Amino acid sequence: MSFRTMRSVVALAGAIAVTAALGGCGGGDDDGGGGSGAGKTLNVLIAANTQYPQEAQAWQKSIADKFKTQTGANITWETFATANEELTKIQTSVVSGSGPDVYAVGTTFTPTAFSTKAFVSLGDEEWKKLGGKDKFIPSSLGISGPDDQNQVGIPWVGRPFVMAYNTDLLKAAGIAKPAATWDELTQHAKQLTKADQYGLAVAYKDNFDPWKFIWQMAVQAGNPIADGKTARITDPTVKKAYQTYFGWMTNDKVVDPAAVGWTNSQAIAAFAKGKTGYMALTSALSAKALDAGAVQGKYAYALLPTVPPGATSRPGNGVEAASILSGDNLLIADYSKNKDLAFQFVKLITDNDAQLELYKSLGQLPANATAAQSLQSDPKLVEVLNAQRKSVATPFTGAWADVQLALTNAVVQSIPDLAKGSITDAQIDSRLATAQKAAQSALDRAK
Amino acid sequence: MTLSTAARPDRRRAGRTAAGEANRLLPRPLLAVLTVGLCALVLVPISYILLASLNTDVGVASGEFWPSTFSGTSYTKIWTTADLSTGILNSVIVCGLVAVASALLGTTTAYVLVRYTFFGRLTILRGLVGLQSIPGTLMLLPVFVLFSSAGNYLGLTVIGTRWGLFVAYLTFALPFSTWVMVTYLRGLPRELEEAARTDGASTLVILFRIVFPLSLPAIVVSGIFAFLLGWNDVLFASVLTRPETQTAAVALQVFGSSQEGGALPVYSQMMAAALICAVPVVLLYLGFQRYLVGGLTAGGVK
Amino acid sequence: MTDDGTPFRPAASGSAATLAADRDAAGPEPDRGHRGRRRGVTQQQRPLWLLTPGGVLMTLVILVPLLLASYLSLIDLDQYTLRRWVEAPFIGVQNYVESFESGLLHAVWISVSFSVISTVATVPLGIAAALVTQNPYRGRALVRTVFLIPYVLPSFVVATVWRTMLQPDGIVNALVAKAGGDGGLWLSGPNSYWTLVLVEIWAAWPFIYLLALAALQSVDAEVHEASAIDGASWWPKLWRVILPYLRGPVLLACLLATLNHINNFSLPFVLFGAPAPDDVNVMPMLVYVTSFQSLRFGLSAAMAVVSLILIAIPLFAYLRAVRLDVHEDGGKR
Repeated sequence: MSFRTMRSVVALAGAIAVTAALGGCGGGDDDGGGGSGAGKTLNVLIAANTQYPQEAQAWQKSIADKFKTQTGANITWETFATANEELTKIQTSVVSGSGPDVYAVGTTFTPTAFSTKAFVSLGDEEWKKLGGKDKFIPSSLGISGPDDQNQVGIPWVGRPFVMAYNTDLLKAAGIAKPAATWDELTQHAKQLTKADQYGLAVAYKDNFDPWKFIWQMAVQAGNPIADGKTARITDPTVKKAYQTYFGWMTNDKVVDPAAVGWTNSQAIAAFAKGKTGYMALTSALSAKALDAGAVQGKYAYALLPTVPPGATSRPGNGVEAASILSGDNLLIADYSKNKDLAFQFVKLITDNDAQLELYKSLGQLPANATAAQSLQSDPKLVEVLNAQRKSVATPFTGAWADVQLALTNAVVQSIPDLAKGSITDAQIDSRLATAQKAAQSALDRAK
Repeated sequence: MTLSTAARPDRRRAGRTAAGEANRLLPRPLLAVLTVGLCALVLVPISYILLASLNTDVGVASGEFWPSTFSGTSYTKIWTTADLSTGILNSVIVCGLVAVASALLGTTTAYVLVRYTFFGRLTILRGLVGLQSIPGTLMLLPVFVLFSSAGNYLGLTVIGTRWGLFVAYLTFALPFSTWVMVTYLRGLPRELEEAARTDGASTLVILFRIVFPLSLPAIVVSGIFAFLLGWNDVLFASVLTRPETQTAAVALQVFGSSQEGGALPVYSQMMAAALICAVPVVLLYLGFQRYLVGGLTAGGVK
Repeated sequence: MTDDGTPFRPAASGSAATLAADRDAAGPEPDRGHRGRRRGVTQQQRPLWLLTPGGVLMTLVILVPLLLASYLSLIDLDQYTLRRWVEAPFIGVQNYVESFESGLLHAVWISVSFSVISTVATVPLGIAAALVTQNPYRGRALVRTVFLIPYVLPSFVVATVWRTMLQPDGIVNALVAKAGGDGGLWLSGPNSYWTLVLVEIWAAWPFIYLLALAALQSVDAEVHEASAIDGASWWPKLWRVILPYLRGPVLLACLLATLNHINNFSLPFVLFGAPAPDDVNVMPMLVYVTSFQSLRFGLSAAMAVVSLILIAIPLFAYLRAVRLDVHEDGGKR
């Protein structure tokens, strides 16, 4: 009896071992096999594309083919679903010294990635390998590094933020041009709010939208919020920004009360129904969603206001920021064993042809200056490209993620007050004080 | 083994006819009310998932409950939006193995902990519970460092392989599986084991021929939990896998992704994918739940 | 009263004698397997070597990283030092001090209270479901499967579904309005705490159900028959005879469920987003945001260790109180 049992135990153990070993076949090498360049594999990390999955696959294949012809090496594409997942991937790769060779990092996270010092610094020689700095739209280089000497990010695609407005509703209200100042926007929204219509769609509960408004309004008034190592949140400009932002819901009542629960996609969906005048913050990527809604053919993009609230023209130290500098930068890992291949790859996908192909198949705006120029002829894109040119980078510091969080937190904690319909100045002050404390401590730690 | 298998069918038949009423735990009307109530509790949000999967992405994003337009396109799109088929396959392989292995190891460990006394027994038992209280977020980076060090210094590629994931999930599932079996095995009468032992059977024989068959309900339950632990884990899977070895949970995350700036998350597809991902687990459960029956040894001992 | 109340007393036979002999083994704990063999156990060898596979795995994959994590909590590890983490400066208890200042205690309190409430509420649901599916009837397999579904769905899907239903203009508020009430804000403000509890209950009650179901199977038909002969009606029979069988497994389920709730971060994360409203800033969210969004690993490791200790103390007290870990003959030894 024991013999039989021993046999079955051994058999079972054997089965497990075999399956486990079989399972192990799925793993790949971190870096390309040794030896000749032809056997190598470049590991690239980009965002998963759910809007155009098949086109994305096709684009990846076409690039991989071109790359293979050019260098003989293969490409392995890894994708991440959310910004948090990408950050986690960066962290685990940095700590272990192995992982993707090329990262496509959102501009907002480039300073964080830079602070890990795990990415290749781009000097003159490196830029030459990539085709030269002049190849890129000047504003897109704004968040490649803290200054010109210490750049790590190569601009890849642009995602400037704009407003969308309902052309029919504006025409019906007698508004000739979309608002150019924040006060004008409020005024237009008031005119457009009537019956079952709302003037403005704002996503108060989104995790990424609110701080963009605050920063933009503040920087237009001359306050970049993170001024060197000082946090300037308890500042009249920021207070005015919050008052305006909250005011749309509480005082002006130009926003749907349900917006206290909206994420950006819900706000877009609401705007797509065709009963809202302006969609306060969006990018050209929303075109697909808007075209699928009732607002198809009746919307257009416009620059976000560039004059701070409470003013009719920008103050002397104000910055003409039509959008935060938004898009993706490419970063090359310092631990990579295929740096040369990586540079060739980056050059390939930032060249004119690849950038235009990327736009055509996936709707991502190029960072390549020539490609962007050639898109000027598309009427739908004129304002968006304008916004891209007038994008201003957020302060380049490793603490920016925390500053962002602090600004957003002030909104999150205010939502119950917004829902009730009023928020006092005292409450805003106390929220700003909390945010100031958090932001300042993050900036103190920044190296 | 022969004793209990002969006893079981008798037991079940007896349970339904003659002693049927004796086995009834709740009066019929209460039974009906509770069943319907609990099912409704579960099914209302599920119906939302079903309806959303039959809606369009824009429709779901705007918060509709009842779709304004019914469309089954989500079910076809999900296979191309993310590598769902690879994900499900990988998940089934890894989680299936984890379930089997953790049930085996858990029962074995529990058996020793329950039937024998030795110094440190209580410490181990308490330690197992203590291990359950460790948050995954604390462990992520250290586990990753450990696994990647194995790759860097021992040449043992762990990150990105299925068996690396298997080892991680198995270890996380073990404390729980062990404890489930501990509570169950304690209620198992010793007579059969003692009889076998006096017959000269070794521990392994007792384990495989007596303990395992008798504790099938608990094994099924602990296997299910181990399976689900791996099935739904996102944190570790996202860092320990490559595109070829990614699990269903990682693939499902893709559907919830949204880029800043207006691209709509594909909610309808996410709901459809979630339902599809639930199917393997449900099928497995349907298959194994028939082992969740009682009346184990009563006839056998006599 | 013993903790599982089994009516069968195992025949003491030779096992008591061997147990007595083994218990006398005093001394340090490790190396249990070898110890047994070397002591020359008389009648049976304790197969402690069977503990090795599980032991090795758990030591390697859980204990070693845990030690590493504790080390991480003592160094200044953030985005700036991550690359050369071995050289990161040692700052001792500074992280711990800072974690207390970052609202950790408040977060732990929210976590523990919400977990306990959720667990307590899921117990009746789980037991009722187990009782309801105990006796066979046509379609029982289907009902059992339906009951399992909330637990099968991944946390973030459940959270997304409920987040959509609980929007200010979502279906829940629509139904409440029809019933004449005002739903208010579910996902922000003070109600968010109760939202978290309710959603967690919905998602997690099958956990108790499954364990209660397994335990119910260990009740022999004879027990049912015996009490039927006694002529007891269903409630006393249930309360005095059947439910005591479930006590052990259900208490275990409660313990583990509470731990799971405490550590569950993906549900609140997807339900409320980060940063979360102050009322639902549960501990795992705080740890996650600190670690993966602020990239302060040292601080988040310290926070996690503190919360681990804070939870472990009542945990072990509870274990001793309900004697879940005591051997069947336990009291005698």
